[in-house]
Amino acid sequence: MPMEPLERELLELICTTCNLREVEIDRLEGDIPLIGPDSPLGTDSLDALEIAVTVQQHYGVRMDSENNSRVVLQSLASLAAYIREQGGAKP
Amino acid sequence: MQTEFPHNQSAHCESGVAANLLSHRGIPLSEAMAFGMGGGLFFGYLPFIRINQLPLVTYRSAAGSILKRLARAPGVRLHQRTFRSQQQAMEALDQALARSIPVGLQTGVYWLPYFPRALRFHFNAHNLVVFAKEGDDYLISDPVFPQPVRCPAADLARARFASGALAPRGKMYYLEQVPESLEPAPLIRAGIGSVCRMMLKSPLPLIGVKGIDFLARRLASWPRRLGRERADLHLGHVVRMQEEIGTGGGGFRFMYAAFLQESAALLAEPGLEAAASALTAVGDRWRSFAVMAARICKDRPQAEDSYPAMAAIIHDCGARERQVYQELSAWLRSAPCR
Repeated sequence: MPMEPLERELLELICTTCNLREVEIDRLEGDIPLIGPDSPLGTDSLDALEIAVTVQQHYGVRMDSENNSRVVLQSLASLAAYIREQGGAKP
Repeated sequence: MQTEFPHNQSAHCESGVAANLLSHRGIPLSEAMAFGMGGGLFFGYLPFIRINQLPLVTYRSAAGSILKRLARAPGVRLHQRTFRSQQQAMEALDQALARSIPVGLQTGVYWLPYFPRALRFHFNAHNLVVFAKEGDDYLISDPVFPQPVRCPAADLARARFASGALAPRGKMYYLEQVPESLEPAPLIRAGIGSVCRMMLKSPLPLIGVKGIDFLARRLASWPRRLGRERADLHLGHVVRMQEEIGTGGGGFRFMYAAFLQESAALLAEPGLEAAASALTAVGDRWRSFAVMAARICKDRPQAEDSYPAMAAIIHDCGARERQVYQELSAWLRSAPCR
């Protein structure tokens, strides 16, 4: 599944936030798992926390107990869909 | 043995199970409301108790206390027992299911095969509801999963008799009796009162807002006392207990804020709405600490990241929380009982 512009933007933001220098963005697709052992990014739960907070700061979209971050952070596509659904916008 | 059961995913297992069991008996309750009425919010830093050789830090009340408090509501009777033998425990479960009673169980996460391997860890106070049996499989409403799951009998028996800290000893429970409806106001007030007492009035310096300050002081000294590597291990442990393990983020502060917000609407009390906003801001502050800690643990700190800076944030969390509980205590004194 090719990446949409928002997904690409998110991936770049995640790579910057988590200092992932060796990720080849152009080789990845939108449905890649974002966190955990199956993720090509090699990210774990501590990275997930940083991603959740960075997304909140950049797009004004909160992930907390009501908005189940586990589901939202399943893939780039699900994160992008959540931001669109919540009407998130860059400041 | 089939029983219809309303499965709702939740962040925290005990509150989720409590809410689902009551909802099944015709008393719809959100996870946040179960958490709040159950007096779930807490803070304790107990360095003399070790979990995997790291000091115990907890942001919620003791395992089982939420269910215990909800079971004290007028008209509610919770049947609860533990067992010495696996066989007796599984027979008692089957007998309850044969009577179409969904049964809550305390289990060890490590032995539940439907958990992804990477997420299995030695935690023996995981709550779930068994609502049916098909062949040798039990159908389970595990509140941290989006859909009901299946578990073979042998694995469930092993999970019910996991050994170690908080060993469940086959603990099972179910609602024997519920009223037609729950009067929310007294339960909300009692839940808030219990949290305010624990957070403001504990004589122990390790508990409540004093405990938050104690953690801040200890954390500032970790690099000197423990060395950098062990200090980072301790730090990662605090962050995991705060942001994972079903806390809903911010060490349960977001979940409690959701409870206060729901209560504000239910009771038409703007004071609770203000407390909800303040506590959400506290949760964000706890998260600021966690994000700084994560950067330090991952060895990618920013210029402002340091142990003293994290300690300052935690002190600030303590001061803000003290203010919230003082305002809630004042609300309890001023708001009429209904």
